[in-house]
Order: sequence, then structure tokens, then C-alpha cells
Amino acid sequence: MLELFHAEPTGDSARVLIVLEEKVLEFRGHYVDVLALEQYRPPLVDLAPRGDIPVLVRDGAASVGASAVCELLEEAYPERPLMPTGARERWCVRAWQKHVDDILASAVSELAWQAYAERSLPPPARAELEARLERIVPAEERARWRTALAGYGEEQLARAHARVEDTVARVEAALEQAEWLAGPAFSLADVAVFAYFKYLPALGGARLSESEAPRALAWLRAISERPAVRGALARGRAKDPFSTATPAPEQIRWG
Amino acid sequence: MAVELYFFQPLGTNSGRVFLALLEKGVPFLERELDGLAFEHLRPEYLAINPRGQVPALIHDGRPLTEGAPICEYIDEAFGGPPLRPAGLEERCNMRGWCRYLDVDLGRAVMMIHWNRIVPAFVGARSREEVQSIIARVPDPDRRRAWRRAYLQETTPEELAESRRRIEAGSGRIEQALARTPWLAGAAFSLADIDLLSFYAFLAKWSPEFVNERATPRTMDWIGRMEERPAVRELRARSRIPQRPPMLERAVATASA
Repeated sequence: MLELFHAEPTGDSARVLIVLEEKVLEFRGHYVDVLALEQYRPPLVDLAPRGDIPVLVRDGAASVGASAVCELLEEAYPERPLMPTGARERWCVRAWQKHVDDILASAVSELAWQAYAERSLPPPARAELEARLERIVPAEERARWRTALAGYGEEQLARAHARVEDTVARVEAALEQAEWLAGPAFSLADVAVFAYFKYLPALGGARLSESEAPRALAWLRAISERPAVRGALARGRAKDPFSTATPAPEQIRWG
Repeated sequence: MAVELYFFQPLGTNSGRVFLALLEKGVPFLERELDGLAFEHLRPEYLAINPRGQVPALIHDGRPLTEGAPICEYIDEAFGGPPLRPAGLEERCNMRGWCRYLDVDLGRAVMMIHWNRIVPAFVGARSREEVQSIIARVPDPDRRRAWRRAYLQETTPEELAESRRRIEAGSGRIEQALARTPWLAGAAFSLADIDLLSFYAFLAKWSPEFVNERATPRTMDWIGRMEERPAVRELRARSRIPQRPPMLERAVATASA
């Protein structure tokens, strides 16, 4: 049996939900309220002690890390493939996934948190979270929460903008070569980038515009309209999950 | 068509993991060594291969592949030889988690401390202007920032302390994993072991306060088993300075001079 513990269907949670829906797999979804710190309490803390979300549970075994979990689902359920067959194309998918994990995920999440923190965490909820942080969040995770609650600095946000712009340019260049990021077929690479790019049009300032990145914009629209993607994005509690945010994952600390 | 690998000495981190993956698979390849100290990776010939100016790059069928972790999986899929990934799917997922952790978290903590120690020493003979103009040519903004911060010694004591904390915590995690299974990601040798050797195991010689017989006996035993593997022996034989990263040798020599 498959179970998925997931947050609002954006970012990494959206990646795994989309793969499950694309493959038409039956699974039990459990919504995790990240801003209520549910990921640090039972039953989740026993499955993923560091508070990773999403968590896939397959026949009782828990797995974390969106890229690794998406590949696991691909390997376990190869029908309706989301990985190409050639080794070089598979390398290409993994290189995109790595770019998302290393660069794009934190950059977009920082910009989204900057835009939506107040809406996602109104003052009373914020005060409650601050009061519980010390007691519930594991010591090594607290700095990340405190940084987010204090607000990301100008330098960090400028870097996030630059990273997003660089990624938009790369996506546009890739889509000049092929219909999808890793070749002629929709793949885990498209899923990974989409799950973060979907934030961009509303955030503005990221050059994902008709004039500067027409292919990327059309690609984003085409993915948004896939039935599996619509299904995945409807699994949250918010009307528009991409107008909510949670603290960003940590940036890589050294170049 | 010949397989070619562009890499740096020392045979550690990203260059080391790909070099060792090729040796473990028994793939013959041409060594294209770049001199990092001479900034050969920033020359136009190499930027034509990898515009980001980073090693390693693997040339197969005449076209380049970059990024250490995806190259390693590519090597396992594109060539014959013993498998470098577990057959069990959850184990394979666990292996990928370890590879990622070693690459972008623990490995970077090690790298931050290492660079801060050695970069000023190994570029020391050049003028400040020359070094800054070379650093300005590093194409990747994060890598450029790391170079600049190490050269100007801008990394704060708090950041370095956090890196040491992560190395201690990571050492505990690794020791626990090796107490459960003979290899890092389970019963079988895998890319996780290759990465552990490449990003971490040299601490036993370089920073024995973290990795030693008393504190991490299972890790020391694992290092012993790794060093007996024919591919690792071959790696050591092909490495010009097998004991310590050569940049560190130089830094140590400079410091004691």
C-alpha cells in the first residue's frame, strides 16, 4: 500500500503528488500542516526524524527526498513512464532534478515566503509558532525557521532573483531544443521544475513573461492543464496552493 | 569512441567519485587532468566543454556530461560491469539520500573548512589584484562567491563552528549506519560508499579529531575495507599524492615555513 504525507501541493509535495497522479496510482494522502509543525510530531517524526516533507510510505517503508522518491515511484511502477530510456536522457533528467534540489527550490521558496508569509502565518499563529519553536523543532532545524521568521535579507533575496532568472533562461534554452526539458517526452525533469515555476507568474519580477520566455510560459500552461497535475494541485486545503508558502529549505552553504 | 574524464588532482570530492565509479565498473578511459592551481578549468578550451567551469566532465560518444552525482548514475547505466546501485528500491532511494547528503551538506561543511585553510596559502604567490581578477572569471556565481570568501577570509567563526558541528553530527550518523550494515546504504557496496570515500573519508588523515579508532571504529573498519578494493588501490596508484590533498600539503608547508 502507498501513503503520502504531504503539505500544500507546491514544490516538493507537488512533485510527488503529480507523479502519483500521472501514474494513476492508488494512494492514501495525509495532509501535513507544516506551519503547525506537524512534521516534527508523531507519527511523522518517527518516519522522518528531521521533518522532511513529503514522506512516501510503501509497504511500511518510509522514504524521503523528492528526487529520490520520484525515481523510486518510477522504478516501482514503470507503466506510464516519466523517465526516458536512454542513459544520456536519463542523465539529463537527473541533472535537472539536481538543479531544482540545489538551486531552484530554495530560491523560489524564499521569494514565495517573502510574498506570502504574512498571509500564510497571520500574527496570532505566528506568535504561537514562535512560542513552540524551541520545544518542538529539532535543534539543527531551528536556525532555518528563525531566519524565515525574521525575513530573508536583501542580499539573499537578490541572489534568489538571480537564480530564478538564470533558471528561466536555461528552461527557455532547453525548450528551444525539444518539446520537454529532457527531450521529446514529459518527464520527472518537467515535474520538478514545474512544481516551483508555477509560483513565478504571480510573484512577478522573474522574467517568466511572454516577451522574454515565451516557450517557458507555454510549457508552464501546458503542464498546468494536464489532468494529473490538476488532480495533484487540488489535494491541498488552500484554494490556490501557490499563494501560500512555508519557510524555504536551506541553501547550499558553500559554493 | 574513447571515454575521457576531465578532472582535478587531488582525487577527492566530485572528481574522485567519478574517477572511482569508472574504475569500479572497469571502464577504460583517458585521463584529462586539469591543473586547478593554474586555473586550467577557466580556459576557453575547457569552458567549451563545461561552460560552468567545473570539473568533472565526462566525454562519452563525443559529447560531455557534467555534475558529479548524475554522471555517477550515468556510468552505472551506460556501461557493463558490477552494479553500483542496490537492487532493492527503498535501498536505492536510501543510497540516493546518502549521496545527496554527502555532496551538498556534509561535503560542503568539510569543503568550507578546507578552503578557508588552504585558498589563501595556495594562491599566496600571486598579487591580490591577479587573484581577484582570476576569481572574477569563475562563471558559477556560488562558486565565485566561495572562492572570494575563502581568499579574503570572510567566513565567520560562527559559520566555521556550524560546519564543525555538522561534521561531528554527520560522523555520528555514518558510524550508526555502518553499525547496522557493512556498506553505507545497506548490504551491498554502492555509489554511497564511493561518495563517502570521496567527500569524507580523508578526514581520518586530515582531521583525525573527527574520524579515529576510538570515536568512529566502524568507519575506520570501513575505510580499511575500502582501501583493499582493487579499484581503490588503482585510484591511489594513479593519484600523485595519495596521503593528503596536495593543496593541503602546500598549505601545511607554507604555514610551517
